Amino acid sequence: MARLMSIGDLEWYRSEILAQEERGRTRVNICMTGCRAYGASDVRDALAEEIRSQGLSQEVEIRSTGCHGFCAKAPVLSIDPLGIQYQEVSPEDAPEIVRQTIKEKRFIDRLSYRDQRTDSVIPYRNDIPFYKAQVRRVLANCGRIDPTIIDHYIAAGGYQAVVRALSKMAPEQVIDEISKAGLRGRGGAGFPTGLKWSFARKAPGRPKYIICNADEGDPGAFMDRAVLEGDPHAVLEGMLIGAYAMGAEEGYIYVREEYPIAVEHLTLAIEQMQELGLLGENILGTGFDFHLSLKMGAGAFVCGEETALMASIEGKRGMPSPRPPFPAQAGLDGKPTNINNVETWANIPLIIKNGPAWYAEVGTEKSKGTKIFSLAGKVNHTGLVEVPLGVTIKEVVFDIGGGIPKGRAFKAVQMGGPSGGCVPAQYLNLGIDYDTIQRIGAIMGSGGMVVMDENNCMVEIARFFLSFTQSESCGKCTPCRLGTTQLLEILTRITRGEGRIEDIGLIQDLGATITATSLCGLGQTCAKPALSTMRYFGKEYEDHILEHRCAGATCDAMVISACQHACPAGIDVPNYVAAVAAGDYERAVEIIRERNPFPAVCGRICIHPCETKCRRGELDDPVAIRSLKRFASDWVFTHPGPPPEPFPVRYKDRVAVVGAGPAGLTCAYFLAELGYGVTVFEAQPVAGGMLGIAVPEFRLPREVIQAEVDYIAGKGVEIRYNSPIDANHTVNDLMAEGFKAVFIAAGAQASKRIGVPGEEEGLDGLHYGLQFLTDVRLGRAPEVSGRVMVIGGGNVALDVARTALRTGADEVQLFCLEARDEMPAWEKDIEEAQEEGVLINPSWGPRRILRENGRVEGVEFERCTAVFDEEGRFAPKFDESGTRSVRGDHVIIAIGQAPDVSFLDRDSQLERALWGTLEVEENTLRTNIPGIFAGGDFTTGPTYVIRAIASGRRAALAIHGYLRGEEGRLRIVDEKSHLKDDLGLALEQETVEEVPRVPVSMERPEDRVVDFREVEQGFTEDQARQEAVRCLRCDLEKERSEA
Amino acid sequence: MERQPVDITRLAPLLDKFNRTRWGLIPLLQEVQETYGYVPPETIKPIAESLGLFPSEVEGVVTFYAGFSLEPKGKYVVRVCRGTACHVRGGRSILRLMKKELGLEEGETDEDYRFTLETVACLGACFLAPTMMVNRTYYGRLAPSKVRTILAEYNGRAEQKGE
Repeated sequence: MARLMSIGDLEWYRSEILAQEERGRTRVNICMTGCRAYGASDVRDALAEEIRSQGLSQEVEIRSTGCHGFCAKAPVLSIDPLGIQYQEVSPEDAPEIVRQTIKEKRFIDRLSYRDQRTDSVIPYRNDIPFYKAQVRRVLANCGRIDPTIIDHYIAAGGYQAVVRALSKMAPEQVIDEISKAGLRGRGGAGFPTGLKWSFARKAPGRPKYIICNADEGDPGAFMDRAVLEGDPHAVLEGMLIGAYAMGAEEGYIYVREEYPIAVEHLTLAIEQMQELGLLGENILGTGFDFHLSLKMGAGAFVCGEETALMASIEGKRGMPSPRPPFPAQAGLDGKPTNINNVETWANIPLIIKNGPAWYAEVGTEKSKGTKIFSLAGKVNHTGLVEVPLGVTIKEVVFDIGGGIPKGRAFKAVQMGGPSGGCVPAQYLNLGIDYDTIQRIGAIMGSGGMVVMDENNCMVEIARFFLSFTQSESCGKCTPCRLGTTQLLEILTRITRGEGRIEDIGLIQDLGATITATSLCGLGQTCAKPALSTMRYFGKEYEDHILEHRCAGATCDAMVISACQHACPAGIDVPNYVAAVAAGDYERAVEIIRERNPFPAVCGRICIHPCETKCRRGELDDPVAIRSLKRFASDWVFTHPGPPPEPFPVRYKDRVAVVGAGPAGLTCAYFLAELGYGVTVFEAQPVAGGMLGIAVPEFRLPREVIQAEVDYIAGKGVEIRYNSPIDANHTVNDLMAEGFKAVFIAAGAQASKRIGVPGEEEGLDGLHYGLQFLTDVRLGRAPEVSGRVMVIGGGNVALDVARTALRTGADEVQLFCLEARDEMPAWEKDIEEAQEEGVLINPSWGPRRILRENGRVEGVEFERCTAVFDEEGRFAPKFDESGTRSVRGDHVIIAIGQAPDVSFLDRDSQLERALWGTLEVEENTLRTNIPGIFAGGDFTTGPTYVIRAIASGRRAALAIHGYLRGEEGRLRIVDEKSHLKDDLGLALEQETVEEVPRVPVSMERPEDRVVDFREVEQGFTEDQARQEAVRCLRCDLEKERSEA
Repeated sequence: MERQPVDITRLAPLLDKFNRTRWGLIPLLQEVQETYGYVPPETIKPIAESLGLFPSEVEGVVTFYAGFSLEPKGKYVVRVCRGTACHVRGGRSILRLMKKELGLEEGETDEDYRFTLETVACLGACFLAPTMMVNRTYYGRLAPSKVRTILAEYNGRAEQKGE
């Protein structure tokens, strides 16, 4: 390489490189940075060997490139000019790639991206959703050029910006263009770069320094690493321009030693620049001198702070110093210094080359250009993403990131690392820019986005960050040194279940003090992770302290196994699964009944939070806990032993329960077990409450409910049918009749109205969801025929739609406000309904019911553009221009239920709460009248059966406490069953190999829609035992680690 | 195994290279560590003299940065990432398993200097979470079985070489 003596030399050099590039040559770009950990080198070698042996060396070039961004599917390679991208490539794939794709120009399905939703194969990179929504400007070269070869960079238009700046622009003009472009610092705080540069330019004193901060230390951020590794010259060119603009003669790059590839590539790049004369004296013959060297960090996070970083370059302990003076006045060696972060520098050549107007074409009013985010954590497509500022978090996490793995629920995204905060689901529709993110308590930071799902505990996340800042605090200033230690101590005790309720206020006070008084950014922001999780997930803090509950089921001190902790009723799951594995089904059911008297019901319709948390799911699929429960309880009901013996009565106090639904019967069952006489008052002629009303026969057969009710009655619970508690027989009357306590669990059976024009009582063809289901169950269903339109997107709406199909409808169309992936109904139900032929029309809201001559004619809908506002409140927005009238013969409205409180005395002392229900104390379910308790759907609104059951058991324990004169809060903790079994199961096997979950057989859709037969068939005995041994027995692991 | 005596002669060329270099302390310490695998306490005084510093200044820098160690390390330095992405994907249990398998706590080295167990704030390989590094090699998407396989491989290597 000869030294370039002038600007003309560089241009000539570029054209020479371009001329040498052979046209029509196939190029295989293979990531040799991030993908190296997945054996990319072996893939490259295998491809090279194959190309050689097939005699294609002249036609094909293999390029070792930087990161392609799509790290989730590493190792990744792309083939140009075809534009094909292959993923998860192994050396064995080499012959096929060479033969089929390179030679015959055909793509290979197996190695191509497969869309999760449509299951279609997408071989072309630009069509993959991950890339489609991105605007890759800074990352344009990453994955396309070999970062160790400067010629590649020059051929791609590199150093053109330097040419323009040195030949056509005065330094002030350069700064002016950077200001006009609106570039803000990409390191976190978002300070306008042009302004910062003008300070450095104007500052008196020589020499002047510029620094590239490549000490990317935020856990969860890796965008700087990718840029340094994949396109180091972009950063160096930016620095060269910056040096020219600010009049600096020396520069440093301060890079983490934990990034060996970045160090290697930067070292090479600097050498190449020196050889070409792009660094040193008299650069390109313009008289401009600039020297650049590399400094490696030595493992101190605080050195990311600019004053600490400069101390570290000077060879001292990396401790921050107070500002002012600012680095622009007195920085390195007391001289004017400008510090920018890697990504900021990499943006500079783009602005100078393409002009500020081009640059500002994308972005928001106050945040221009693009930003790179590193997407990690619980998201399908982990990797590097570059998007225009202003796109929503949802677009990044769901459209580009492909959503949350295993269908779990999104909880929050952590932005800005230890200085940032958590952004909860309610802000998914918020556009990302510096100011909005700041406003909601997080920061843009360097761009790390760590996604968390429902299995993460937010208190534990805050504790994690504090343990990080505490250990990285340099110790210079007291607020940070002692404050982080204190905060960590408090958060740790909360996660250990030893927190006090005052701790919440303490964290806030302490946080405010540390923020106000710390010397540098590390201390000033260290409380943010705690304060922001507290702001959005305050309930989790309270639950840890007061209830010993961890929503993520991760805090060891309160969790024996995640499945048990996730179960609202706290069933000892591993032990009953072990009992199934051992073939002892009676014992399995006995273990379930310790916490839940409805095993067969829950075995069918439980939403199984246990499976969502199942650790086996991290390995392959969660254990099919619900189906195992069903198998065991069905076995017990079909192999009846002697009839159940009533629980012995130990106390003379009698208790009344209002409502024989799951909450009421559960409460009665556990009160009976505790030794009380219990009477349940039920208005209907049958028991089961909502189970028998709202859940259709094809999901929960009547005889299953009846078997459970018979068992409960057999254990000594008296059920009085046709005995409503109403104005004729009040709660007060019950107390007068000698009941010492009353539990009201009257359910939520009143259907909500939409409140649109045309929605009138008695309109022929207009029905309400719950009433419709009840009528069908009781055999007095209205004839439905023709086209039936169901309005609503929840579980009841789906049940209604599927029931309508079975009662004469020719066609069922369901309309809901939510988009398809936002529908609140259980995914399994939606899929089953679609299989049966229900047509789902998401994002439509009813505007008016059309009618004629007292009969429904149809519904007019308008397009719903968003259900929730930016703050996450229910506030549907409609696109007025997008209306649509749909003709139909029947309209069934199923948008929610409320409790029916008509039975309460008008002057009832029982206060009515927000829901139109009773005011109850959440922990003990006490009302404001001593001895009267309320729970289940009645107080919470409709939930899931397992929550009603948990509420019933809580009521039983609370009533027991009340009757025994024990005041105070209840603390229901996880306990092991006394029937526990140390059977090892999968844990004992040496290698835990992937053993897929046993699928449950189903009736075929075309068969099942003709009647009300049960859709799901359940496990056979062999299947159940095979599935049960997949359990990892996390509970035993814990016992052993504690032993 | 006893700690090997320090061959102080290997220090001289390094000191010559950085003799009185402005801001040379950290790069010099990095080379010392590269040479010896750690910063032997015996080297602190000569380093201070060659750069015109007090030994306390040198020791202050050595102990400030996590990257420097005054203790010799094992042949294989295992660094388990405790970054956010690794944490939310179960990095904690990887560390727990590693401690159990190696019989070491964080920062410890085994008796025969085969393994050192460390944690690192973030390896910047979050897309591979949970991850770790053994010397300069990254390992990602770790699961208990994979950790055991990797360790078995290094154990085998160490034994083959009769170490």
